Amino acid sequence: MSEHAHEHSHHITPISTLVKTLLLLGVLMVTTIAWAQIAPSALKDVPPALASLINNLIAMGIAFIKAVAVILIFMGVKYQSSIVKLYAALGFLWFTLMFIMFADYGTRHWEAVRGWTPGVKQMAMPRADEPYEEGMPPRKDIKIPDEHH
Amino acid sequence: MISLKKMNQPQDTVYEQFEDLAQQQETYVLGMWSFLVTEVMFFGVMFMSYIVYRWKYQPYFYALHKELDWRIGGINTAILLASSFSVALAVHYHQRKKKMNVLVCLGFTNLCAISFIVIKLLFEYIPKWNHGHYPGPGFTWDNPYVPSHIAQLWFSLYFGTTGLHGLHVLIGVILFSVLMYLIAVDHPSISDYLPTEMLGLYWHFVDIVWIFLYPLYYLMPK
Repeated sequence: MSEHAHEHSHHITPISTLVKTLLLLGVLMVTTIAWAQIAPSALKDVPPALASLINNLIAMGIAFIKAVAVILIFMGVKYQSSIVKLYAALGFLWFTLMFIMFADYGTRHWEAVRGWTPGVKQMAMPRADEPYEEGMPPRKDIKIPDEHH
Repeated sequence: MISLKKMNQPQDTVYEQFEDLAQQQETYVLGMWSFLVTEVMFFGVMFMSYIVYRWKYQPYFYALHKELDWRIGGINTAILLASSFSVALAVHYHQRKKKMNVLVCLGFTNLCAISFIVIKLLFEYIPKWNHGHYPGPGFTWDNPYVPSHIAQLWFSLYFGTTGLHGLHVLIGVILFSVLMYLIAVDHPSISDYLPTEMLGLYWHFVDIVWIFLYPLYYLMPK
């Protein structure tokens, strides 16, 4: 680095490190594809829920390692200052927080939707301006306006 | 006379609002990362809707993923990983001011990006379009095991997410072409390696999105 003595401000990632990272990414890619091909027969005798958990953990675990390798080496976050590291983590932290939203979806009752849920002609909670029809769920809190008819 | 061998660049300039070169460069990188955080949020909701609906319709989603060929997706994954490597190499050479190497690396990256789009169109989007597998009134579906409306939901997620990703790849192609031109003609706006570094960060992000999309859509675990 003597010829770059005036440029101490940035880190130059050596080509050998980049090549090793590429090889790691390639090996992980082959692993995840290979596992997806052999998983149905390898996990034949495992209960489906457990097999699903194992498969998801392997697929997403490998994707996570690949993403971390790209972020740290290719994007050079490993060699950057703390504030850049913080920003790099921020987006993924937000993504984790978003799972709170998922908990909301997962724990609520999904309303029947007209045109989507088979056999359902009316919404579980009709709009207030919707005229009441036979077969609609009773509306306790909405006064049915008679003057519409 | 423009030389292809050497970068005709002035000595790195420190602009007056910065303390030194290190602070100036960190500012650029930090700005790019702020943009990438918004991109994570942008793609995050696409992943979230995927997770919510896959949670609800897991058996159907598993049946539907067989509509995609993991080999085509695998080739595209390899292409994107190689292009990510070559753009990291381009940054390396730009830091060492080796112009020809930078142009070759960026050219290879651009070629990979174009191949990605071509493969996606020729082997995935166009055949699916011809089979009527696009959500909307013209949707044709003859698999009795998967209800048509859930198939449409899945194809909406597939086209929406990979389409948004493909749009990012297309933007990458345009930006790489512009950057290569500016570097080739020694444009004054390319005063150091940072434009290559910025675009490299963008491109790596596009690669990371695909790293997650590929197992979720093509190798969907049962």
